[in-house]
Amino acid sequence: MDGAIVICALLPRFELTVAAGGRRELLGLPAAIAPRPGSQQIGEVSAAAEAFGIHRGMRLGEALSRCPRLRLVPGDPAGAEQLWEAKLGALEAIGAAVEPLRLGLACFDAQGLLRLYGGGIEAVVAAAREALAMPVRLGVAPTRFAAVAAATRTRVRRSLNVDGDERAAAAFLAPLPVTLLQTLPPLAELPAALERLGIATLGDLAALPAAAVGDRFGSLGLVAHRLANGHDRALRPRAPRVPVEEELVLPEAIDGAGLEHAAGMLIDRLMANPLRGGRALRAATLSASLIEGGGTWHERVVFREALGDPLRIRLALLPRLREIPAPVQALRLTVTDFGPVAAVQQTLTGDPEKLRAQRLHEAVQQVRTVAGVDGALRVLPIDPDSRLPERRAVLTPFER
Amino acid sequence: MSGTRRLAVPRRVSVQVADSGQPLLVDGHPVDAIRESWLIEDRWWTPRPLRRRYWEVVTLDGRDEVVFHDLRSGRWWRQR
Repeated sequence: MDGAIVICALLPRFELTVAAGGRRELLGLPAAIAPRPGSQQIGEVSAAAEAFGIHRGMRLGEALSRCPRLRLVPGDPAGAEQLWEAKLGALEAIGAAVEPLRLGLACFDAQGLLRLYGGGIEAVVAAAREALAMPVRLGVAPTRFAAVAAATRTRVRRSLNVDGDERAAAAFLAPLPVTLLQTLPPLAELPAALERLGIATLGDLAALPAAAVGDRFGSLGLVAHRLANGHDRALRPRAPRVPVEEELVLPEAIDGAGLEHAAGMLIDRLMANPLRGGRALRAATLSASLIEGGGTWHERVVFREALGDPLRIRLALLPRLREIPAPVQALRLTVTDFGPVAAVQQTLTGDPEKLRAQRLHEAVQQVRTVAGVDGALRVLPIDPDSRLPERRAVLTPFER
Repeated sequence: MSGTRRLAVPRRVSVQVADSGQPLLVDGHPVDAIRESWLIEDRWWTPRPLRRRYWEVVTLDGRDEVVFHDLRSGRWWRQR
């Protein structure tokens, strides 16, 4: 991470802001995003609701018992995804290689942009603020987690800069509460356990021996310990993409067979979209606007293999329509990941070894689409005859 | 979470031993049988030599565990 200048952009209460739409006054009241169909857990909450001890993921019954005046806002996951994609695109348009962490939270390395914007970090921060065009908290630090922490500590109109190296990052993090770890999705459950053991600040966590933290909390504990000590992994920017999507606004709300017919038309239009460029679809998001203020519904579907055949895409997508809880006013299909051009054509001739290697490569790509970069790893022997088991092999990303 | 990571990294374990040094309890689980024991001495030519007494044991609830006693630090570790 030497030399990195990470900027974190935090759009506060992004999902709730999108769900509230024009009713901005809701953000000043105790309000929360209503549970999704089939769930009892509320979504993002307003600051006024937090004052009652209500937080995201709390069961609805408990939230209402803490604050009977709590307003429930129907979620708009599709709208939030769409707006977030637009915001990420805006950051990429200023030249930033962006790593999205969750909705409303993203980081990028400003090192390569300094000269582009005149040499000063303030100019890059200003460019990011202008590109996002909505209230944003910006934190600048040498590591990703310190930048996220800085963004949570600053105000909307100002940015907080943590100058220096990883040691400076650790010193900045030390007095901050361990609950900050919740901002990184994989570590969401950890702060509660740490607090039960009396570990209140990141400095308390950093001061513990790594082996003791590893024993008690496993690999996630070790990740948190490294973060608290100012160490972090390098950013993993996403590949910038041009969104390929199709939308169908229906003359009247429909469900059942009519909806399946509409989805079929949408798939055909998407396959004919010139932006697709003949590429197969690896994953797609199906989203719907529901009747009369029912919010939106969306579902990401990762296919078992990259598909270029509209019929097979229908077979994979249409069963998902039955999960939509209300009649639909508008339906949208967005490609989130592409596979190779013209899909994977199985041939009857050719070198079996080469074909097998191609299929293996394709399978690994698909697994990574579902499970992330670490979804496919290989055991690499480094000293297989060593008498010490920990020296014999390592796990590395699968490549061929 | 990222990059390369080692396999079979030792993890701390709590072990109660008999006077003879053989494990009686591993993480609170009584040891039913000792399958094997061996000594590893390595890197004795460096400032940080390794001396480990390994024990492969079977606990009463049927687990097969490999633990070792670090003869320099006195700590016990589990390794697989």
